[in-house]
Amino acid sequence: MIKSAIKTVILLFSISVLIGCEGAPLPPEVMQAESREHDLWKADAEIYAPEEYKLYKSALRNGKDLLAKENKRFVWFRDYEPIQTEFRHILLQGSQALQEIEKQKQVKSRSIADQIAFYQKRISTIRGLSSLINEGKVSCRSLTKAELLLSELCLLNQRGQYAEVEKKLKILPKYTARAIEAISPIINRYADAAHIRKWRDMVNETVSQSKERGIHSIVVSKVDKKLILYHKGTPRKTYEIGIGTNGSEDKLYAGDRATPEGKYYITKKMSRSRYYKALLINYPNDDDRRQFTAAKKKGLIPKYAGIGGLIEIHGGGKSGMTYGCIGMENDQMDELFSIVDVGTPVTIVGTVEYDNNISSAIKRL
Amino acid sequence: MRRTTVKLLLVVLALSVFLIGCAKKPETEINNTKAALDGAIQEGAEKYAKEEAKLLNDDLAAAMDEIKVQDEKFFKNYDKAKEMLASVQAKADSLKAEIPARKEKAKNDAQAALDAAKTAVADANALLAKAPRGKGTMADIEALKADAAGLGDAIIEVETLMTSEEYFAAADKANGIKDKAAEVSAQITAALEKKGKK
Repeated sequence: MIKSAIKTVILLFSISVLIGCEGAPLPPEVMQAESREHDLWKADAEIYAPEEYKLYKSALRNGKDLLAKENKRFVWFRDYEPIQTEFRHILLQGSQALQEIEKQKQVKSRSIADQIAFYQKRISTIRGLSSLINEGKVSCRSLTKAELLLSELCLLNQRGQYAEVEKKLKILPKYTARAIEAISPIINRYADAAHIRKWRDMVNETVSQSKERGIHSIVVSKVDKKLILYHKGTPRKTYEIGIGTNGSEDKLYAGDRATPEGKYYITKKMSRSRYYKALLINYPNDDDRRQFTAAKKKGLIPKYAGIGGLIEIHGGGKSGMTYGCIGMENDQMDELFSIVDVGTPVTIVGTVEYDNNISSAIKRL
Repeated sequence: MRRTTVKLLLVVLALSVFLIGCAKKPETEINNTKAALDGAIQEGAEKYAKEEAKLLNDDLAAAMDEIKVQDEKFFKNYDKAKEMLASVQAKADSLKAEIPARKEKAKNDAQAALDAAKTAVADANALLAKAPRGKGTMADIEALKADAAGLGDAIIEVETLMTSEEYFAAADKANGIKDKAAEVSAQITAALEKKGKK
């Protein structure tokens, strides 16, 4: 009886000792698979390969369950070979998921780079358009915000934070649209065929008049910022000019800083003027007065605004912005001043070209 | 004597089996560790120590796996699991303690970036104030004024981000503003020089 009890105790003691024994080492693939899970997480698998990541995690879970099951067996009877095979398979699955993520990221990065380039071009076009019509003051505020956002997007794209980029890319059109909206009323006239036809007719009449009467005539194209001097219907000289701060718009009232459009003539030659020399024109003419009255009735202009006047072709330089006058370099002013007389027709138009700088830029938007 | 010895041996044996087989699941340790991890996350670990937070979560999951393994064993031994949980808890506590400093650093970095951006915008505005006014003003000065106004708007956006403790985004935006303001200043200087030559 004692012998049997002692045997039992020895047996149990041996078992407990054996429990503490070290079994076969875990296959390295187990740790590698866990580490790969971390790699997948770091690579934003949840975003770029959610299905693959889900499958990987599920496979890893199963693998771990298998391992746990195996670990429950007595150390001597543990067989890690199937576990190792299983974890190799899991690792392969992880590698494939990582490859997929890399592929997705490359696609994303390229697509984002394309979109960034698109918006950079768009912003540059809008800036160019704004500059052409001297209307940077209304559009640049939004464009600057758009450019700031773009620089943030470039940074995030470099860091691989594509999801954040995509979120912010959605805000960008808001700024560009606002900038376009600000300049649209002005630029659209330069792409409107009916408007351009009207301007062409005015210029043709002026040139014909110059030819028929054998006189000098002046044609100003605002979009080209050019003043062309005709004699007997033939262009003799072209000068570069500057126009009003809001020169691309048609003048409507005093203080709008727009340059008038229409058929005028020189009413006075001033050899001494605040801006070197000046040629005063008969703004407002009858058309301008009609336009002013109609606009006032519609409430399009301030209640107490007057129609304005004193529109001149003057010296002082072409690069400055004027209150609506046409500015020229002094030496060129000298030349023009010596050629033209009081009564010389002056026709000011937006453009005569259907494909002008503005209409072409609009097409690129 | 023989009977007494046998009884004694059986009692010892039964006690051993009872003690080995019925080791208590470390519920308190689990709860404490989870609470420590939650504490670190609430402190902002997922924002200021994202990777460390994830590793701690993984370590906790590994400890829970170990517990599961032991749960299913006849001879349960939670010592390893307890060690793992203690390690996670210590790391979580340590991470939680580190977060305020990291947050403070992010805040200071963002504030420094914002200050630099404000200075750059103020410089641009000071240059703009020197720009010629009225008739004869350079065409691009007006546009540059609008650019500076846009930068001013963006400064307000950074301040909003600072208020909502979005320090990394605030720093990025502020750095962009500083660069753009420097660009605007350079353009104003160029325009002023151009005007000066006239």
